[in-house]
Amino acid sequence: MKLGQFRKTRSLAIIRLSLREWLRDDALTIVYVTKVLIACLLAMWISLRFELDQPKTAMLTVAIVMQFRTGMVFAKSYYRLVGSIIGIVVSFVLVALFAQERVLFLASMAIWIGFCTAGSMMFRNHQSYAFVLAGYTICIVGLPATISPELTFSIGVTRISEIIIGLISASLISDLIFPQRVGEVMKAKIRKRFTDFLDMLNGMSIEKVSSFSPKSATLRIVSDVFELETFHASSGMENDASRTYRLRLSMLNAEFMAVSTSFHTLEQLLRRQNSYGNPFVIMALFNLYQLFQDVTAFYNCSVRGEVEAKLLADQLKYFRTSFQQKIDLMRKQLPINLVTNERLDYETGVELLKRVVDEFYVYTLTYASLGSKSSGATQHSIADQPPRLGMHFDSLSVALAGIRGGLSLIAMACLWIFADWRSGIEAITIGIITSTLFASSPNPRKTVNQFIIGAILGSILVYICNFELLPKAQGFLMLSIAVTPAIVIAAWLTTRPSYSTIGSGVFIIFLMHIGFNSIYSANPITFMNDAVADLLAIGTSGILYALIDLTNSSWSRKRVSKKLRELVISTCKEGLPQHPSLLETRARDLVQRMNGGHRVSNSQDKEMVDWLLSTLEIGRAVIEIREQSDEINDSDTKHQISECLDQIANLYMSPSIQNQIIAINSINLVVTSLETVEVLTKLPQCNHHQLLTMLHFIRCALLDKDSVLSLPNQSDERIGKYNYAS
Amino acid sequence: MPLEVAFLDALIPSLLIAFMVSVLLSWLIDWLFFSIKLYQHIWYRSLFRFALFICIFSLLGLSIY
Repeated sequence: MKLGQFRKTRSLAIIRLSLREWLRDDALTIVYVTKVLIACLLAMWISLRFELDQPKTAMLTVAIVMQFRTGMVFAKSYYRLVGSIIGIVVSFVLVALFAQERVLFLASMAIWIGFCTAGSMMFRNHQSYAFVLAGYTICIVGLPATISPELTFSIGVTRISEIIIGLISASLISDLIFPQRVGEVMKAKIRKRFTDFLDMLNGMSIEKVSSFSPKSATLRIVSDVFELETFHASSGMENDASRTYRLRLSMLNAEFMAVSTSFHTLEQLLRRQNSYGNPFVIMALFNLYQLFQDVTAFYNCSVRGEVEAKLLADQLKYFRTSFQQKIDLMRKQLPINLVTNERLDYETGVELLKRVVDEFYVYTLTYASLGSKSSGATQHSIADQPPRLGMHFDSLSVALAGIRGGLSLIAMACLWIFADWRSGIEAITIGIITSTLFASSPNPRKTVNQFIIGAILGSILVYICNFELLPKAQGFLMLSIAVTPAIVIAAWLTTRPSYSTIGSGVFIIFLMHIGFNSIYSANPITFMNDAVADLLAIGTSGILYALIDLTNSSWSRKRVSKKLRELVISTCKEGLPQHPSLLETRARDLVQRMNGGHRVSNSQDKEMVDWLLSTLEIGRAVIEIREQSDEINDSDTKHQISECLDQIANLYMSPSIQNQIIAINSINLVVTSLETVEVLTKLPQCNHHQLLTMLHFIRCALLDKDSVLSLPNQSDERIGKYNYAS
Repeated sequence: MPLEVAFLDALIPSLLIAFMVSVLLSWLIDWLFFSIKLYQHIWYRSLFRFALFICIFSLLGLSIY
């Protein structure tokens, strides 16, 4: 009897577990696919009802705009509308100017496409998408207009109505049927990031530091910051978060960047200490870190939400009050026979540790404040606006992308004109769509390959639909049934991350060729010609992506590394005030554009990440030094420091052993002069201390044999000699 | 009301104007409801918004025809 009951409850539990799993994964996919289908059919019905001549444009709009999250749909719809309107207006202008001259018309179109492609590379997320649309809408409206210029206006107005119908149906359906809010995803992401970082803090130990440095974690953090920014931008459109809440999210992002850099810097310092420094110093630093870890680890198992974070913040606050005493105590316990440099090692480590603790405290506090509803509950003021994630890009690669976009149009246009090709317009349209749409993807060549597979699949589906199903269909219901299978397959493919490009290929090709307007209008010969034209056009843009490869070539990586180094130079030379978080966003943005949040796959990627980290740690130290030296009023010291910064900038301008030695020597010079008694009396205590520790930190970073600045072919002995010569 | 209105010499249906006006109106009402915190008592906010919009649009549309 009892056994039977036990079995029953166990099988029930299994069923419940699998049901929950199903609800979490598969049910969501099914709901999403259904939503896409309903929105497509709704758009089709409305356009047919209004007797617009291309219901497929409305359906294509739905297919492009549909996303899992409601807020993302709103954001994408908005930018799609803006992009389309701009594209249509420009095509009116071009038709008005060059209606008789198709060569001039195509040439000016190529310039416009180039401009739009460049724009889509410059901006992120949905803004970039608006540029893409402004680019290819001109093909959809402008090219048919070259054949019959008198119809341009009516074509434009019809297209925009169809697009609006598509946008409205997509937004309505995704908002009304099982809406998936971005806000919730974002909360989960933020929580995960917090706990991940906490794990990282707790996971650090002597053994780990000495064996390797976890670069992939850092890279993940780089892409996290921008992913959250996307969600953040979209959640603004969902309109149910208050302004304070959104402001706090921005603060959280900035604070997270700061604390992750500081933590990485501390890690690097401990690693260097472990390999070159005095064992007593490293032990002392680790003991101090252990104290910090005790506080964070205590809550590690339970920090799930904002409430626990609040408790943690309180603990940290208490910890910070007594931390200075512990530092002083530890300093007294250090052996007496340490040389000055080893004492400086300790001071620098302590300084960084204090920075990590402070920044982590602020980060925890902001995170905790997300949970509280009232705006007055924040301890620190949110009056100062967090710096926005601006746009920082490599202008040369953006220009090249523009040229690539223009070239792909010119190539297709030449084919069209010289071969007097019937499907020329079709080919140009698809070619432009592929060459603008994928310009900002992390690996365009691979994306285009997937897109071709999708196009082939889409052509097969559209053939079946056009010539097997549609001729037998009568009325709206049967029409819907005929188009349903292809839409479902394509929508399902877009939900799988590894096939999503194939899915969008199927969607675009299928919906562009589907054979009905208000009546059945498919023709096998035209269809075959167009299908071949599509593949040819996609192939052409694929070749152009391969020829002008801006994301995967070693050339582009070198350029990003150089740009990163230039950031250090500009922090050394540009006027104050400089905000550390500005440096952070700039550097991270450069790398993120290159990498798209992927893993460090090869040594070149690794080198780039190394440069990023080096830029961040040295850049922040330089900013600190410049701020401190701005406060003191001893002109001799000031002059020395600025000379030393010039040498560091020089080193980053052209990294070589010689420049490295010069930079280290100039730091040594400043450090020795700072330690003389007369300077010591002239400067305020805290400025003096900060300057010394930061200079020492830069010196250690430059002396590091494993850093990216140390070129592989240099002789270790020479550097080693200078190490002790100081 | 005429069924079509000339806007910069282009004939547009008055229904379109009614649509735009009702979008503006429902935004306004939406903002009003948000500020008096009515939405805290509503279970399906987006459905409510949509229904409100349909009401306004039908009213305006019916008054044209």
